[in-house]
Amino acid sequence: MADTPQLLDFIVDRTHAGIFVVDRDMRIVLWNQFMEVHSGRKRDELLDQDLFDAFPELPRKWLTRKINNVFILKNFSFTSWEQRPYLFKFPHNRPVTGGVDCMRQDCTLMPVKNDAGEVEYVCFTLFDVTDTSIYQMQLEDLTKQLRDASNRDGLTGLHNRRFIEETLASEFARAQRHDHALSLIITDIDHFKRVNDEHGHLAGDEVLRRVAQRLNDGLRISDHLGRYGGEEFLVVLPETPLEGAETLCERLRQAIAEEPIPLGDGALPVSISLGISQFRPGVRNYEQLIEEADQALYRAKETGRNRYTIFQPPSAA
Amino acid sequence: MAVPVTVVDDSKISRKMVIRALPPAWEVDITQAENGEEALAAYRDGKAEVMFLDLTMPVMDGYQVLEQLQKEALNTFVVVISADIQPEAQERVKKLGAMAFIKKPVKTEHIEDVLKEYGLV
Amino acid sequence: MNIAPYSEDQTDALQEVANIAMGQAGDSLARIMGHFVELSVPRIRLVTVQDLVATVSEMVGAKEDVAAVRQAFYNQLRGEAIVVIKQSGADELAELMDYEDEVDSEAEEELLLEVANLLVGAIINGISETLEAELGFSAPSLMTTGAPLERVLTPDKLTWSHALLVEVHLCIEGHKFKSHLLLFMAEESIDALRGILDNFIDDL
Repeated sequence: MADTPQLLDFIVDRTHAGIFVVDRDMRIVLWNQFMEVHSGRKRDELLDQDLFDAFPELPRKWLTRKINNVFILKNFSFTSWEQRPYLFKFPHNRPVTGGVDCMRQDCTLMPVKNDAGEVEYVCFTLFDVTDTSIYQMQLEDLTKQLRDASNRDGLTGLHNRRFIEETLASEFARAQRHDHALSLIITDIDHFKRVNDEHGHLAGDEVLRRVAQRLNDGLRISDHLGRYGGEEFLVVLPETPLEGAETLCERLRQAIAEEPIPLGDGALPVSISLGISQFRPGVRNYEQLIEEADQALYRAKETGRNRYTIFQPPSAA
Repeated sequence: MAVPVTVVDDSKISRKMVIRALPPAWEVDITQAENGEEALAAYRDGKAEVMFLDLTMPVMDGYQVLEQLQKEALNTFVVVISADIQPEAQERVKKLGAMAFIKKPVKTEHIEDVLKEYGLV
Repeated sequence: MNIAPYSEDQTDALQEVANIAMGQAGDSLARIMGHFVELSVPRIRLVTVQDLVATVSEMVGAKEDVAAVRQAFYNQLRGEAIVVIKQSGADELAELMDYEDEVDSEAEEELLLEVANLLVGAIINGISETLEAELGFSAPSLMTTGAPLERVLTPDKLTWSHALLVEVHLCIEGHKFKSHLLLFMAEESIDALRGILDNFIDDL
């Protein structure tokens, strides 16, 4: 039979978690092997020493409060790597594959009470959660990639219809709230059906990709571009009054028209038409903005294509 | 002679907890009241030389009982029994005339301390 | 599964135990914040998973966004504690807790977890001491910040049909801060608690 207290001492010392204990004066009264190995500090030199004298790099103010709360409230307390990556800066066991600088730690602070029910010590248990944290970060990266992918149009790589509509909706709400300017452009490739009919769908896809690319290159940093339908694109221009929208329309129109799109051995001249609408008081919702830009686009088509027109609100008079 | 004691709490369980915690050697005649109105009625019947009073109750709460006792200059030894153990909560009821404050769950030694302090046992 | 409601005595006892436990939580909070804490009367409901969101929304009364932290408790009773704090109140935490360092989003989360842990720990300890039941609790984890309440409680992800809900709330006098503490116990713990309450009542 093993001697039980000895067995417990052995387990506390050798378990694969850091265990250390401090008293009310923040003096270290227990320091197990895990703590020795990872800190490189022997218990003989640490016992009876002030925790913060021994480890000046510890976040003193925060940790003192945390420990004192355990003494006062007689309650367990916890820290998580997600908010505070580590307590002690220890090297971790993934020096090669890690991608994090040091051991991620979760800690439990346990009140150790005497017979009178007063807390005499606080016992720390420190868990190495580096692996968990790495998996979690990988998962977050992946989720972000997936979310990003689900917001994109597969063919052109632009934002898809759902996402660009969401963007417009939130910009619309913002413009409304702060009475900011907001412009919307709908653009569409002229005679796109003819491209498909005469050159095939693969060529049509290539034209879509190239046009998307040129539109994207022509934008300012704050503009949002998305594929709205087959050959239709939406550009949301936050805090942009009419003049700015007109300048951009002309730039985009030129970017498409001035150089034919390379296709197989030859090149295909392509143009776009554009319609502009403006946020102004009285516009009910973002759908109305789309509707108005669409009407302006229709007029651009009617009046000869390869041009932009501006939606004219019915005059108040 | 047995001391007339009224235990006031809307919770039957809570009243039982108080009654169980009364010092066994203390000779008492216990009346139970479920709210402030019943408590004042018990007082007027001469059944509340000592009153153990809860604060949160329907109909008439403990604060209202304290106010009423003060207003009518009634003479009973009120021990407030409450789960709200914040120092400020204790001060508030003492300002309203409570003689002592005991926290829930009530322990015999806490009642004994109060009774001894005021020479009631 | 059919769950028999608690008897009047059982409900009374549970109410009293919740009251005592909340008193301790309020005291802990007051000590940390240095402000007077106003306590509610505990509310006890047997809820089905279908009316969970409606019940809790009515209790919390939150049209505004909330932050929520969950913690498990276990041993003789098993369940989950959820602390719901209205976002506007959560934003006040750093000030209320005299947090002097720069408050970034991690620090804000840490404060939320700390307050939730303090409340849950005090409540669980209070229940455990009063009922002489062995109870432990896990580390707190953040469920959400700045989200509507419906996103915290998603019935389609819950594996029980009935739960016992004990709700208390605490406010800080003169501040926006208000926290709701919801203790949920699912089916088998409802019966376990019934037994513990009966013992407690019999001992009186």
